[in-house]
Amino acid sequence: MTPGIDTAASNRPLWLRILFAAEATRAALWPERFSPATAWAFLVPAILVVFVLVAGMGYMVDASLRELDRSTFMLSDDYSFANYATVLDRSFYWHIIGRTVAAAVIVTVITLVLAFPYAYAMARTPSAATRKLLLIGLFLPFFIGQVVRAYGWLIVLGQEGLLNSGLAWLGLDAIKLIYTYTGVLIGLVQYMLPFAVLMLAPAVTAVPEEVELASGSLGANWFATLWHVLLPMAKPGLVAAGVVVFTLTITDFAMPEIMGGGTNDFIASAIYDGYFSISEPGLGSALAVLLVLLASTLVAVIFAFVGVGTLGYTKRLER
Amino acid sequence: MSRPSARALFVWTIVWFNLVFLALPTVVVIIASFTAGNIVAFPPDGLSLRWYASLFETDSYTDAFLRSLYVAVICTVISLPVGTLAAIAMARYRLRLAGPIQVYLLLPFTIPLIVSGLGMMLVFGEIRILGQLWPVGFAACAINLPFMIWAVAASVNNLDTDLENAAANCGAPPLVTFVTVTLPAVMPGVITGGLLMFILAFNEFIVSLMLVDARIVTLPVLVYNSIRSVITPDLAAIAVVYIVVALVTIWVLDRLVGLEVFLKSK
Amino acid sequence: MTQRPLTPSRSLILPRRRLLAGAGALGAAGALGGTSLLSRLARAQDVEKPEEIIVRAWGGVWVESLDTGVSQPFTDATGIAVRHDLTEDNEIRPRIWAAVDQGRVPPIHINWDTTTNATKSALRGVTEDLSDLPNLDGLLPAAQPVGFDGYPIVNTYSYVYVMAYREEVFPEGPPTSWNVMLEDRFRGRVALYDDGIGFHPVAVILGGGSMDDIPDNMEPAWEWLRRLKEQEPLLGEDPDFTTWFQNGEIDVACTIISNARAAKQNGIPVSWTVPEEGAKVDTDGLWIPKGLPENELYWAKEYINYALSAEAMEVWCNSLGLPPTRPGLTPPEDLAGDPAYPSSEADFDRLISVPTPVLVEHEADWFAAFNEIMQG
Repeated sequence: MTPGIDTAASNRPLWLRILFAAEATRAALWPERFSPATAWAFLVPAILVVFVLVAGMGYMVDASLRELDRSTFMLSDDYSFANYATVLDRSFYWHIIGRTVAAAVIVTVITLVLAFPYAYAMARTPSAATRKLLLIGLFLPFFIGQVVRAYGWLIVLGQEGLLNSGLAWLGLDAIKLIYTYTGVLIGLVQYMLPFAVLMLAPAVTAVPEEVELASGSLGANWFATLWHVLLPMAKPGLVAAGVVVFTLTITDFAMPEIMGGGTNDFIASAIYDGYFSISEPGLGSALAVLLVLLASTLVAVIFAFVGVGTLGYTKRLER
Repeated sequence: MSRPSARALFVWTIVWFNLVFLALPTVVVIIASFTAGNIVAFPPDGLSLRWYASLFETDSYTDAFLRSLYVAVICTVISLPVGTLAAIAMARYRLRLAGPIQVYLLLPFTIPLIVSGLGMMLVFGEIRILGQLWPVGFAACAINLPFMIWAVAASVNNLDTDLENAAANCGAPPLVTFVTVTLPAVMPGVITGGLLMFILAFNEFIVSLMLVDARIVTLPVLVYNSIRSVITPDLAAIAVVYIVVALVTIWVLDRLVGLEVFLKSK
Repeated sequence: MTQRPLTPSRSLILPRRRLLAGAGALGAAGALGGTSLLSRLARAQDVEKPEEIIVRAWGGVWVESLDTGVSQPFTDATGIAVRHDLTEDNEIRPRIWAAVDQGRVPPIHINWDTTTNATKSALRGVTEDLSDLPNLDGLLPAAQPVGFDGYPIVNTYSYVYVMAYREEVFPEGPPTSWNVMLEDRFRGRVALYDDGIGFHPVAVILGGGSMDDIPDNMEPAWEWLRRLKEQEPLLGEDPDFTTWFQNGEIDVACTIISNARAAKQNGIPVSWTVPEEGAKVDTDGLWIPKGLPENELYWAKEYINYALSAEAMEVWCNSLGLPPTRPGLTPPEDLAGDPAYPSSEADFDRLISVPTPVLVEHEADWFAAFNEIMQG
């Protein structure tokens, strides 16, 4: 390609000159004939960063195939599937896996239902001040670490906490939420909500308000517009938010640990116990490998189901 | 708008519920941090600033705070280019193997944090960089990278391929097009993602727990470790300091680029 | 795979012996122990001092007592700062094991650990031998870990997993049996450690078994725990118990006496008792991971040696409310005669003690079985 712009012109601002110098460097290092591979070049850094985790998983796969010798607390030299057999054999692990997957589904659905109107309000409100307040309301809870936040929940949801005091004042019976499965789900939804809103907001913003108005002027009430126009058009954001919430929940450790009262463990808790409480790294690794396979498979199924092109271009085709 | 009332009622009911839901534990902790007593209690046992005083008198807290800041900066600096490029590659180009790559790039979320932490401890130990602080920032980037990628990818929606083509047709070379057309279009996603990465790295404790030792302990790890034995109000005070930092960050961001940038591209 | 020797390799000890010989008068001073120790420390100038040594500890009352009793006086005498790493014992273990495997310097100098977990590390061969510490003289036999010739670990005190209870719920005096946990009024208001630690052998007795059933027939324990599960117990760790008592979430718990005592001292209306079925007694100890530079190993040993001295032990263990493995020290006033502060043979006989090798081999299975019941 012949540059149509005179890169050497000295009357250009400094940033442009730097940019053109960079362009020349790029042309030397990455000539045009490489351009079909540009997308891959863009991906390489991310693939390498994530590879550190993959390399770490390599150790886990190795450990998962070795058995613990309790006279030396070393893993065996030879490989076997004993740890996997142990996991699959214990009904209690199945129970925990079921509980975790169920939580991931419930939390994802509730979070999306709560997040969409919030993202919608943020995108549509005419007031900049309101928008800012909504954003701040979203970001602040991030800064109370999960652990301290759980402490706040105990004060709110505890047997003698604010909620139950309020109920008692109204003459109602106390409800037990803290240290129950429901309590864990509440904590998780609250933790995931800001992530979901942030993933959804750009997608909602990208739906032109005129489309909504047009649908309304054709006589559709807003809920019909929401169902038939807004939600389908915001699908990329919904999928992004859904996948993020789902995967973060299915692998979560902290929330069931601190909100579950010790009897609502998720898979990650069982993995933790394997590595730390009982010094059985082989068993913990086997569980970890199974969890990663399970979560990745579910994600792949979601992508296959809603289409990989959820990011970006299918969106444009719909327009 | 034909039926604003039903819509407004629906949307704002949920928004108000969310605001209370998000704020409640935070507000309770803020109030509890001003207690004069020895334990976190609500309502607080008398009001005082003693736990804030003890916070600033404790060197270990201030040091750990600065280290966390460093970790968060490293994480953000790595994430910005890595995540942005990956997102553009995923969303802008039709890739073969796009499905497997998506699943691969989601591994940071599908591998439990404890496993990521242990794995990176072994990897970093093997290449002898364990015990330094910057790998902790790298680790925070690795485990949260999907946030950066997805945040940018979500705003690639705003990217108009026609505009990019027009620039190229006018003779703008690829890098110039990228910097002057592509990047500004995805800027809301880049900033959202960058801020998320910063906040998450600033608060990360499960993976960091495996990677720091007592000499380079970060604030969230310090809080996590002390909370394991006893919970004192200074931890609530730390949370409030975090909130103040958050407010300042958001304020600075608003002055610099305007918070609108989260939602609207230029 | 090759069987590792039970006593860790001595090769690393020899250079230290030579070092000591080079220190001249030190050999003689070392034998004195006790109060002359600080002067011994002060004179051991020719071994290069590290700026600081890192001691892993539990937080709260645990680290405070260690700091007052051992770390501060040690720093005063030697000028070496002591940094306390509050990483959980369970969470530091894989990191030490990985460091030794990879030939790296471990993240801490001294691990304050439960004897069971420390024994696992010793069996794996990641502990330094401590047999040549002068202050081992005069310690009770319980100070030496079972199954080893030397001292890969030094046990420093005993502790009892007592029944802690809210005083107002038992106006007629302390409960006499662990079976109160099954009473209707305590539904959802009972707490145990989240792996059941400290309770498995008690549960065997409660389920109609005897000490002879451990470890081969644990079924009575699981039977009893299944009944307890119907009570919807809470499971947690040390800080949870304090929080739960404080917020009125629980009335009865099985926890280490030090936690109950610290809660009481903080104004939470909690007391403790040893019920008629007994309560589990166990020990904690100190050990040094392999792989430290020689001079740091030297000073880490000096730290432990000082921790074993009568003066350090008395302050440290008294503020924890735990009987040390050194006889003849003055017990804390509030605990004299308390069955949860065992000091004589007869006291220990009333408690439930499971040999460490049995715990090392079987406790992980008990945790798993406990989990299986409680997570169901």
